[in-house]
Amino acid sequence: MGDLVRTFLSGTWDLCFKVFVIVVPIMVVLELLEGTGPWRALVRGWSRLVGGLGFTEETAAPTLVGFVFGIAYGGGIIVRDTKLHSLGRRQVFLMSVFLSMVHAIVEDSLVLIALGASAIWVVGFRLVWAAVVTLVLGTAAAVVARRRVT
Amino acid sequence: MDEASHDPNARVPLRMTVRRDVLRGLKSGVLTFWMLARVMVPAYGAALILDRLGVIHALARVAGPVMSPLGLPGSAAVPLVVGYIMNIYAAVGAMTALHLTGPQITVLALAILIGHNLIVEGAVLRKAGMSGTGFGVLRVVAGLAAAALVNVLMRVL
Repeated sequence: MGDLVRTFLSGTWDLCFKVFVIVVPIMVVLELLEGTGPWRALVRGWSRLVGGLGFTEETAAPTLVGFVFGIAYGGGIIVRDTKLHSLGRRQVFLMSVFLSMVHAIVEDSLVLIALGASAIWVVGFRLVWAAVVTLVLGTAAAVVARRRVT
Repeated sequence: MDEASHDPNARVPLRMTVRRDVLRGLKSGVLTFWMLARVMVPAYGAALILDRLGVIHALARVAGPVMSPLGLPGSAAVPLVVGYIMNIYAAVGAMTALHLTGPQITVLALAILIGHNLIVEGAVLRKAGMSGTGFGVLRVVAGLAAAALVNVLMRVL
């Protein structure tokens, strides 16, 4: 029991430290970038890339953050933007599906590639897979929603 | 400091907006950290207790037969389930204990990359108004499906 508590305390410290040093700089950098030309260009380029999956430009920005930094670290921006822009349920659903299939593309992938996984499958195939699943579930959700209305 | 901008009227507002943005970023960063910590720490504790109670090992034994369509030995269920409940790093730790071939590592890696840290990340999704359980199930099922597909594709290609 004592060692469980000790593991919990040191793990909690680790977790909180990591989240803090990642989240606070991300928020500062985002605050500085938002509204600048290059950031708008990046979001516009990204939203054109994922627009075919049904994302609006407002959802594309938090999706990009989650895609790069992960659900846990990007979660703050995801939750913030969901409330800030009052993103619709469909947009949050699409974003959740896409990020469920692929997030933290750099950190997580590198850890497993270092272990011997093939980058083409782990990154390339996963991106295609995420797009297909988002498209299929997005279409299915739209059909269900339409049925419910009529 | 900045040789290019001699115009005082252009410099002052920029410095002020930078300061305002940094302060605003620090504030929302700390608030976000607090929101995440309140969600993540209890989830982490729950995962630790589940591990201590032997739930992870019991689940791994049940999941053993599911591994064969993926071309994986039953023992590969351990890092998979460890990843579902804990996180990628814990899964990698469990993975290094097994002797897997290169293609097996790739297949298992894909399933882990899609489905991991389900309790903590599910809590974040719930905070955004989605069902944490629903997305947990989606990630397990879709991750296994993707891994099975890649297992076949790697043989064919």
